[in-house]
Amino acid sequence: MNKTFDRYASLVSLIIAAAFMIESRNISSSAYGSNVGPNIFPFGLGLIFALLSLRLFYETFKDSKRDGETREKLDWKRFLIIFAAAALYAFFLEEIGYIVGTFAFLLIGFQTMQKGKWLSSILISALFSYGVYFVFVQVLQGTLPGWPVWFGM
Amino acid sequence: MDVLSYLGNGFATALDWHNLLFAFIGVLIGTAVGVLPGIGPMSGVALLIPVTASFTSGLSPEAAATSSIILLAGVYYGAMYGGSTTSILLNTPGESSSVVTALDGYQMAKQGRAGSALSIAAIGSFFAGIVSLVALVLLAKPLSDVALKFGPAEYFSLMLLGLCAVSGLAGKSMTKALMMTVFGLMLGTIGIDNVSGVARFTFDIPQLYQGLEFLTIAVGLFALGEVFKTILERESNDGELAKITRILPTKQDMKESTGPIVRGSLLGFFIGILPGAGATLASFFSYILEKKISKNPEKFGKGAIAGVAAPESANNAASGGAMIPLLTMGIPGSGTTAILMGALIMYNVQPGPLLFDEHPQVAWGLIASMFIGNLMLLALNMPLVKVFAKIISVPPKYLIPIIVAISVFGVYAVQTNTFDLMLLMVFGVAGYFLLKNDFPLAPLVLGLVLGPMIENNMRRALTASNGDFMIFLQKPVSLVFLVIAVLWITVPLLLKLRGKKVLVNEEG
Repeated sequence: MNKTFDRYASLVSLIIAAAFMIESRNISSSAYGSNVGPNIFPFGLGLIFALLSLRLFYETFKDSKRDGETREKLDWKRFLIIFAAAALYAFFLEEIGYIVGTFAFLLIGFQTMQKGKWLSSILISALFSYGVYFVFVQVLQGTLPGWPVWFGM
Repeated sequence: MDVLSYLGNGFATALDWHNLLFAFIGVLIGTAVGVLPGIGPMSGVALLIPVTASFTSGLSPEAAATSSIILLAGVYYGAMYGGSTTSILLNTPGESSSVVTALDGYQMAKQGRAGSALSIAAIGSFFAGIVSLVALVLLAKPLSDVALKFGPAEYFSLMLLGLCAVSGLAGKSMTKALMMTVFGLMLGTIGIDNVSGVARFTFDIPQLYQGLEFLTIAVGLFALGEVFKTILERESNDGELAKITRILPTKQDMKESTGPIVRGSLLGFFIGILPGAGATLASFFSYILEKKISKNPEKFGKGAIAGVAAPESANNAASGGAMIPLLTMGIPGSGTTAILMGALIMYNVQPGPLLFDEHPQVAWGLIASMFIGNLMLLALNMPLVKVFAKIISVPPKYLIPIIVAISVFGVYAVQTNTFDLMLLMVFGVAGYFLLKNDFPLAPLVLGLVLGPMIENNMRRALTASNGDFMIFLQKPVSLVFLVIAVLWITVPLLLKLRGKKVLVNEEG
């Protein structure tokens, strides 16, 4: 358990709760034919969430002696590369098309996980990206962004 | 029509060739999901929702809902089978409900009795599956008749009870679990309010008007969250795979495990019905029970076959029992059933008391297919257990990026916009950090799924009472639900204050 995380989490959620309550006051307070408007439920939730955040904040001070666990080594580099690749892949999916994007993402992912075996990496990425596209778009008539426009296909 | 003819129709639906195929694919993938340590039943089901949605796109809405729920439920109980395989052979449970199985199962494998342990687990799971199905058939109609008499006030209190039960038992800190539940409810209010048509918390972002898609959040939190964990923490399983010599259990083994299987099934089933107490708790309790009533408890932990038979039967029975509140009252008791419920709602099929009247094909088709699916699992697991055990050696190098790619594909295929893909990434990261710091994820999904219904029922009840909140206390049934809900939260707190250890459910 990480007390620092909990403390920040409780503060962040307190802010969210406050924002939620303030924002819910802007919602119309009545609905046609009922004096129970669409604002009551969100406001109540915000209130409970705020109370729970305070409770969590209080708990982080209570038994703080269990701190100082052995921190395991996290592989941030590997995570950041794959996450950045995934985020870029998701963001530009419609521009670069499904097949190109998936192929590139998988290749980067495979090689970041473990270097080497380029041939099988390329083969699996190509098979997966084209296979999914073929089955979903050609057979099942679904919608996926095809080849990019500038590709001329 | 009586129950038997409904069941007959259900079997007719389930025996359609394409539904048979769906059930088969479901249990196959489910077993694989159970074996692979990276993905649990929740992320497996969440990942497969969009895939099944695209496979069933050619069918009529009701048939599509039936087929996909058959497949998804197959994944759910298939994972219960698969989880036992790796606990026995490798001492690494594929999912949390087979943690106890590893205690005795791995010892048996070390003694060269891996085959008997595996087959007893399969037989126990099968028996438990059948027990919970029979009970489901018997209880479904009466329970949904009772639930039909509930008004909005009763429903509101019942759902509140469901949420409290799940939060009370999930994870190490109840505050955190409750926070996640409320946060899920808050996320559920985003979008157009479907009573008054007012936009709430949309900030003029067009994609937010239809609300946050449940699928995006579930796939992000569960599937991507677990993937990120594997990437960051370099999990590996280098354990030696135990050899499987003989597959069938001996007569002695059968004799010793009959009692545990029967007791485990019954206990597991009743624990499964209770909201919040899922398969993990069921397997723990049945193990403890067997150890208590055993003539030689010192054998437990050293390869007692009862220590494999009882928890494996219990976790399977619990997954069957968990279907009862979902199908009859529309209240999911665990993360996985919440995801199944979300899938049903996506198909415009509302689980609840009306399900059996409005969509008998879906309800009874699912029940019948669970019967067939259990048969398939037994047939698959006995001869093919060696093949399944090999799945664990799929290199994570390929598995991890492909799971990310499937998540992206799945969300895009259903939502067709990049906004949801970005949301997916955000929830993936959030899922990792929340889980790492003991914030349980299942209550959030439960809150998100139940949120709109809780709010509707609350407002209908309040409209009827002219805004008087006392209506929830004046209706006797509603009052009972609320009292139980309060007890569910306070009793564990009191026990903790007195220094007792409280068993918690750590399913996701």
